[in-house]
Amino acid sequence: MIGKLVEAEFLKIKRKGFWFLTFLGPFGVIALQMVNYGVRKEYLLRQSDDDWGYFLLNVSSFTPLALVLGIVILTSFMTSIENETNAWKQLVALPVSKWSVYLSKFTVLAGLLLLSTVLLTIFTILYGTVLNLGHDIPYLEIIKYSFYPYLAALPVLALQLWIATVSHNQSIPITAGVLGVIFTYSAHILPDWMIWKWPSLMNDWNEPVINVFLGIGVGCLLYIIGMFDFIRRDVK
Amino acid sequence: MDHVVITKGLTKSFRQEKAVDCLDLKIKKGDIYGFLGPNGAGKTTTIRMLLGLMKPTSGTIEIFQKDLRAERISILKRVGSLVENPSYYPHLTAYENLEAVRKILGVSKSRIYEVLKIVRLTDVANKKVKGFSLGMKQRLGIATALLGEPELLILDEPTNGLDPSGIIEIRHLIKRLSTEFGITILISSHLLSEIDQIATTVGIVSKGKLIFQDSIEIMRQFAQKNIILKVNDGEKAWRSLLAKGIKSDYQDRQLLLLEHSNEKVADVVRILVEDGFSIYRVEEEKRSLEDIFLQMTAEEQAI
Repeated sequence: MIGKLVEAEFLKIKRKGFWFLTFLGPFGVIALQMVNYGVRKEYLLRQSDDDWGYFLLNVSSFTPLALVLGIVILTSFMTSIENETNAWKQLVALPVSKWSVYLSKFTVLAGLLLLSTVLLTIFTILYGTVLNLGHDIPYLEIIKYSFYPYLAALPVLALQLWIATVSHNQSIPITAGVLGVIFTYSAHILPDWMIWKWPSLMNDWNEPVINVFLGIGVGCLLYIIGMFDFIRRDVK
Repeated sequence: MDHVVITKGLTKSFRQEKAVDCLDLKIKKGDIYGFLGPNGAGKTTTIRMLLGLMKPTSGTIEIFQKDLRAERISILKRVGSLVENPSYYPHLTAYENLEAVRKILGVSKSRIYEVLKIVRLTDVANKKVKGFSLGMKQRLGIATALLGEPELLILDEPTNGLDPSGIIEIRHLIKRLSTEFGITILISSHLLSEIDQIATTVGIVSKGKLIFQDSIEIMRQFAQKNIILKVNDGEKAWRSLLAKGIKSDYQDRQLLLLEHSNEKVADVVRILVEDGFSIYRVEEEKRSLEDIFLQMTAEEQAI
């Protein structure tokens, strides 16, 4: 059942710019480095002996922002498809359970963001190679810097989807999203418990993997809370 | 006769207010059930509960002899619905809209062309729904409802906002679905005239309560005829009829006969002529179903 729903969701996101945004996110992050390295490559290479490491550091400073921005835009797009003509009532009146409707939305969003993450990995390797940063490409580090923020951002995704699906007024998820982006931008001054800090992989222990585990755990929790709230509510 | 839908004591409260109050619906197999009531009477709320979109505050719903709460999904497989304004995805074509639902229902792709043909949208199958007229969107909504070859079709105000030709078109379509495919249809409306010609059974709801539920013939019997006589001296004529043992009402200088048989009317006319009255008019006054409907819902509101 969930497979059919996901297929239907992928059909519904046609011509809505989802795929373009999925591509634009990681491309934008690398494009910023193209500008950065294009303008002052010599200077940047002088900053560190580990050229790949320093390049990754530069890339990863924009990843969380792009990720949270992407989550906010994609979730509100996703629910706007149903909200536009209140298609929720048509969808839920089909022989499907409400939890599977919610899960299919989450699956598609998580899938698109995962694709973005994979693209970011590929773009990072490609541009690093173009920059001639050396033959010892640190694949593991690159994958870590792409996938850790993704996993750590799952709570933001679950929260945004919850707010967007249950709000009658779409300005609520947008407001929450804008606040989330601002929080992510100022991650370095946020306390560790705030979910918007996690994609930056910063914490007091200097152990990025903690954020990943927190992200998966709290993400699941927020997902379950959101799903049960969606099931409990009457459809508009 | 099997009942497709049976609700018992169905109630839905929004905070303190009861939108639907102890509703006992009974819909027989093969019926076109006209679900009537003024705006805000609780029709849409009832329909949403029948589809499991809303949970009843109390009461039970049985569809196809199964409890909706326990077997919602297996019931909904056999139900098609169109609730209020049609829902569609404007950025997709008519075909893609149906495909999105088809994938979930798991019916064959040829079914899409079948339902497009039924609602006569085959020509615009590959056009975006954004540019459709309201009537076309409504028909697409019905096509979507028909996709799963339902045994029960629930249509909430399917003619709302349509022009007269659109209304007639939908009416023909509904009649055809009932006769050709034997689908049981529940159709709600706030206008009796819209379903008067197609419904076989009528349920009238007012302020959340079911105030009438029976076949349309029974309802037509409420549409009593009156024979009105206009004569030169009404009061005298009334007395002279009374002297002959014929009861009538005298109102506004007119005589109202309580008996409608042809012989009785002929008798009355003969007596009056013989007694030297001039008869100006003999008229039959018929109350329309709309009057009855208005009266029924108004009575309820007066309480």
